[in-house]
Amino acid sequence: MLGLLRTRSTPLATAALILISLALLVTNTRGGQRVDPLGVVFLELVTPIADLGTRVSSKLTHTWNSYVDVVGARQEREWLRTRVRALEADAGAIDAVRDENDRLKALLGLKDGTATRSIAARITGAEASGMFRTATLNVGVQDGVLEGFAVIAGDGVVGRIVSTSLNASRVLLLDDHASGVDALVRRTRARGIVEGGSQAGCRLKYVKRREDIRVGDRVITSGLDGIFPKNLAIGEIVQLGEEEHGLYRTAEIRPSVDFAKLEEVLVVEPPSREVPPPATRAAAGGGEQGG
Amino acid sequence: MRALVVFAVAGALAVVLQTTLLQQLGFLPAAPDLVVVLCVYLGLHYHSAGGATGAFLLGYLLDTFSGSPPGLYALAMTLVFAIVYLVSKRLWVENPVTSIAAVGLGCGVKIATVVAYFAVAAPANVGWLWLLRTLVFEALFALVLAPFLFSALDGNLRAARRAKRPHAIE
Repeated sequence: MLGLLRTRSTPLATAALILISLALLVTNTRGGQRVDPLGVVFLELVTPIADLGTRVSSKLTHTWNSYVDVVGARQEREWLRTRVRALEADAGAIDAVRDENDRLKALLGLKDGTATRSIAARITGAEASGMFRTATLNVGVQDGVLEGFAVIAGDGVVGRIVSTSLNASRVLLLDDHASGVDALVRRTRARGIVEGGSQAGCRLKYVKRREDIRVGDRVITSGLDGIFPKNLAIGEIVQLGEEEHGLYRTAEIRPSVDFAKLEEVLVVEPPSREVPPPATRAAAGGGEQGG
Repeated sequence: MRALVVFAVAGALAVVLQTTLLQQLGFLPAAPDLVVVLCVYLGLHYHSAGGATGAFLLGYLLDTFSGSPPGLYALAMTLVFAIVYLVSKRLWVENPVTSIAAVGLGCGVKIATVVAYFAVAAPANVGWLWLLRTLVFEALFALVLAPFLFSALDGNLRAARRAKRPHAIE
């Protein structure tokens, strides 16, 4: 009997364990009471390891979730960046339209305040060499623009037309060395001539020595040169000349118009000039007129 | 003695891993059944009452931590041991391929036991599709991990045998 147990110990033990576990399962399935003789022991023995495992798994799960969150946040950030770029582009376009609207409103106000005939124009190009201060407009003889017409903007004097073609014209800007405008110092009504080509942009010349002019004085058009309407802003005195002798004084002027940012202008017919209707001029004048 | 300690630690780790860490890996449809691999290993290499007891205790340990009725996994793992033991007595299973096949057989026995239990004793509203899907995925992952576990256990088994018969090595 003992020998049989020894030789057949494995099958016998296995069969016994199968029966025990089956009995245990049946008891726990049918009966209302839970029979678990080894459960408490196993719990006590393995709980510390299980606790450690749970902590490690929680940490790993947290790390994994964080990683997933980071990946999600990255995708969301990319989407938001794209969206921000699109919205910035829209906002930029809206700002540009708003600025243009403001400028055109200012120009319209200027046009309404100008007694003589005026033509709205857009600057299409500037002098590429930098030696001459000129700009090209998108209006020409066909629009009624002729050589010698004044060009102004909301901020003040821009220059005068020096050459025209059928559909374009060239403006000699106020700060070109060949430019000249009859001017007044607004505060004292001291008269002079504003010329371009100086370091600040323009220079007020031929002001009588006894006249009171100061830095900060506003300089405006006198209207006496027959080109520019009266009382248009030219600029502001930023520096007085240091001449100790002579009849006249000079002053450096910073133009009130920022030529670099100029986009729309108004071409104004000189107050003294009688201009025929555009169609007649186009027929008579033909192509580009030299300046 | 060393083999016993190794199995005790391996069993505890397997149960802990199976019931904690591996359950929380959201990208896995089910946790690999490491305990069944250990029981198959016992059935292949420990042809003794100790091997059967080890399988029973591993199943009981799993019962304690998995929330199943006490006896279910104890029965399943003892049956796994018994079937693998009987097969290995008659067939040569000392190569990796047949070892993995034995794991497949063990998984099949376990699935059959659990399904039988649910068929007989579980409430009527049991989700059979979910149950079968979980059992199959547990088995598949066990098959994938079995070679690594077997390799680790083989190393320990050899070390234990050398420790038991030091002169045999020389």
